[in-house]
Amino acid sequence: MFKNYFKIAWRTLLKNMFSSSINIIGLSIGISACMVILIFVWYESTFDNYHTKAKNIYRVVQHNRVPDQTLYWNITPYPLAEALRNDFPQIEMVTQTQGPVSQEFSVVEEADLKRFEEPRVLFVDKFYPKAFDLEWISGNPDNALDDINSVVLTETIAKKYFGISDESYKSVLGKTILNQDDEPLTITGIIKNVPGNSNQRFDILIPYEFFKTKNPGLAQNWSGNHQGTTFVVLPNTTKIKSLESKIAVWQKKYLKYEDDKRISYFFQPLIDIHNETLYGSSPGGYIMPSNILYTLSVVALFILVIALINFINLLTAQSTSRSKEVGVRKVLGSKRLDLIIQFIFENSMVIIGSLTLSVVLLNILLSKLNENLSVIDLQLELGFNHIGLIILIGFSTIILAAFYPAFILSAFNPIKALRNKVQFSGNNGVNLRKSLVTFQFVMVQLFVIAAIIVSLQMDYFKNKPMGFSSDSVVVTPVPDFEKLEVYRQALLGNNDISNVTIASGPPMAVNGLQLGTRFRLPEQSPEEALDAEIKIGDKHYLDFYEMELLAGKSFTTNKHAFDEFIVNETLLRRFGWSPQEAIGKKIQINEGPATIVGVVKDYHNNSFQREITPCIITNWTFFQNQAFIKIGGNNVVTIDRIKDIWENTFTGSAYSYGFLNDSIEKEYVLERLIYKGFTILSILAICIGCLGLLGLMSYIISRKRKEIGIRKVLGANILEVFSFFTKKFIGLITLAFIIATPLVYYFGKMWLETFAYRIELSVWMFLSGGCLTLIIAIITCSFQSFKAAIANPVKSLRTE
Amino acid sequence: MLLQLNNIFKWVQSGGQRIFLLKDINLEVKEGEFISIMGPSGSGKSTLLNVIGMLDTFDEGEYHFLEDSVHNLKEKHRSNLYKEYIGFVFQSYHLLDDLTVQENLEMPLIYKKFKGSERKAMVADMLDRFNIVGKKDLFPAQLSGGQQQLVGIARALISNPKLILADEPTGNLNSKQGEEIMDLFKQLNDEGVTIIQVTHSEKNAEYGSRIINLLDGRMI
Repeated sequence: MFKNYFKIAWRTLLKNMFSSSINIIGLSIGISACMVILIFVWYESTFDNYHTKAKNIYRVVQHNRVPDQTLYWNITPYPLAEALRNDFPQIEMVTQTQGPVSQEFSVVEEADLKRFEEPRVLFVDKFYPKAFDLEWISGNPDNALDDINSVVLTETIAKKYFGISDESYKSVLGKTILNQDDEPLTITGIIKNVPGNSNQRFDILIPYEFFKTKNPGLAQNWSGNHQGTTFVVLPNTTKIKSLESKIAVWQKKYLKYEDDKRISYFFQPLIDIHNETLYGSSPGGYIMPSNILYTLSVVALFILVIALINFINLLTAQSTSRSKEVGVRKVLGSKRLDLIIQFIFENSMVIIGSLTLSVVLLNILLSKLNENLSVIDLQLELGFNHIGLIILIGFSTIILAAFYPAFILSAFNPIKALRNKVQFSGNNGVNLRKSLVTFQFVMVQLFVIAAIIVSLQMDYFKNKPMGFSSDSVVVTPVPDFEKLEVYRQALLGNNDISNVTIASGPPMAVNGLQLGTRFRLPEQSPEEALDAEIKIGDKHYLDFYEMELLAGKSFTTNKHAFDEFIVNETLLRRFGWSPQEAIGKKIQINEGPATIVGVVKDYHNNSFQREITPCIITNWTFFQNQAFIKIGGNNVVTIDRIKDIWENTFTGSAYSYGFLNDSIEKEYVLERLIYKGFTILSILAICIGCLGLLGLMSYIISRKRKEIGIRKVLGANILEVFSFFTKKFIGLITLAFIIATPLVYYFGKMWLETFAYRIELSVWMFLSGGCLTLIIAIITCSFQSFKAAIANPVKSLRTE
Repeated sequence: MLLQLNNIFKWVQSGGQRIFLLKDINLEVKEGEFISIMGPSGSGKSTLLNVIGMLDTFDEGEYHFLEDSVHNLKEKHRSNLYKEYIGFVFQSYHLLDDLTVQENLEMPLIYKKFKGSERKAMVADMLDRFNIVGKKDLFPAQLSGGQQQLVGIARALISNPKLILADEPTGNLNSKQGEEIMDLFKQLNDEGVTIIQVTHSEKNAEYGSRIINLLDGRMI
């Protein structure tokens, strides 16, 4: 019996190649899209869950009440850890980390010196491996970080430095690498790479004591700007609130009076860190807000449900062609149950095919996603639990999508079935289908219009003038200030290099680096000071970045003690000065007083999400640690040349370089993620929506076959029949457009308002989205409508 | 006695009025008869055939088939009954397009839960008897109309029914093919199979032993 079912199922599949592949592909797209999103959501919501003590670990955060607002910081003073450890025995463990920071290492191997710049070096105390789970490949976890000059490497680093194979990790233990060229560190452990879903990103661990000895001042400072991340491990029984209030009393012991008044410490559960926006991203990590994850899950379920509905729709639409078979089989003695089993079996084959395809598709999608989102170090994998979920989805799909059509089909009256007189559920069926398709197209248009808006905003980011020129600018570090002039001259000796400036950073703050200060008039009290950004430049700075000077002049000197300021218009507005008035005025910043010698036109010192803030450029030699090089001509050759010059000048340091525009673009990572997300979602939505439309059309066509026949016999031409069909769904899509537009308008406006500089929403964005959908829909349906339109009416009118 | 219809009525409601499809049909069929039902379009020929074949219900009257009173039977028993004793032949053959000749023949046997080996033997027998062994692996679309109807009849016969119901079996065939099919029916009848056919053709009706004329659902 099953052999027979299988045979029939297989032949039907082959015969209806087109519609079966649409069915299979549609369902697998739906399932894999849903799964990708769910896996992503799962991944993003289980950050740091893998630690054994995850539920007991808390991060100490501080709320800092300044006059006009409260600042939420995820870092805390360095001495806090030690103090908590000493004074609160009820806290099981306190551990503190600093970083990750960028450090330079060199390895001497057989008289060959190799240098590496490592961007993710974390300083951790000896409690860290006890609180957090690290997978030790080699070395003793209990004392690996006890010695101040020890270092623990991850697998990748060990391989990179020593070129070893998997078995020989032990051989590396005891070897020495140099930190910043002078401090020898002994390798005491090798650990597995940190999983992608951790906020503790690092490649190398160095004892915290090492950092403290190097920075004794900072290590004892309770109120500095440079702070570490403090974690505590609390027993299950701890009452968090009461501990927090005890600490609020206790902190007076260490904090200055004014600090004690404005600062309070709280405990944030480790597992909440990744999805909580309040404290911002932890150093080296990123935040995935929980509301984005909720939205994504809902979207995932929507996609699955819609794919299922489409699947059922297509199946039942195809079932008209099976009615004769149902009739014959019934007449030949088939029971209804036999038919139900047969159709369930057949549909299950299609569903199982789709599931198999979706696993393949899912694998591809995941690797593409990992590749595309490498900025956030995404490591999505297909696990056994995911396969289980797919099987579960498949099972429910079979129940929903195989049983329903089977029951409908098997219920046909054999006499009517044999005479092609089967009526489906009447007009209700059509209306239900129509509303489902309309709903799908609301989604399609939502995503398409959203993608248009996001892409236009991205475009705006790209094309809006920043107020300074950033093209063809190469950035290199300047490790040795003494050799700065030599380096500059050597660079300028190259014809392809037109200008060089040495500064603390580019005009727009990138990579989260922004030096803050407070400014006031010398006669004002410190309390009246306002926030400003300070940049250290040289006499070429304005010139290099083509920034427009409104009054005064550029610097002529660089000094160990700065004496000149160039300020922006926004800063002047605080005092109500005109550019000309400002020249010669003295202002006071935290670092000291100086005279304003120039005023520049406002430029974007923050990325476009944020407003332009007061800005001070000064002629200081402190912090002049980056060289900006404007290149022309052949990039590759010039960049090689810069490398040569750099390595000749700063012997004994690791070279690195980057393009300024790349760094600027990184400021829009989240926006680009959203853009990518919407692009992918809109393509998916279009695919699924079109499949739904296809299903509806084949259903309508199968019902209207006779009507078309009659119309054609009565003289309708192909075009008229064609438009008879197209009219039907143009109405639906227009309705969907009308529903979608206010929704997108509302959410789009809300999203755009998070940017200080943004595009204005306009009618054509919506219209073009609507038209695009319509065109795609017409193309989708044209084949079927056309086929129906050119069909010979004699065939469709002939019955028994 | 094979079957007996007593005062059978069948109607549909239309605008508060009963439209009679069958009106007071009384019919007795003995085993070995060959009956032709004739009448103009819409006279109820096919309806009567479907009622006899238990594919359709009726609203009033009694229907006895062998020992059973069909009008008192539940759907399930009814279908078991016709599965066992009745074979159908259609004007447009109604072979399953996706199955080969051999598989089409095998299908009723599957539903009657015959074992695989038995099915094979029975199909082989039937192919032999109808001289279509060479066509067993062809699909219906590869056969001529006459050949398709041959397969249709073979399929109807395969489970040894007592009664064959044929609804215009030659309606889609040319005259030569039609003649062959009618000859076949005659031969089957001679072998003892009871046949009831619906036909428009006087000539085909002659093959039968008895002709029933219908007009507006009434026997005349």
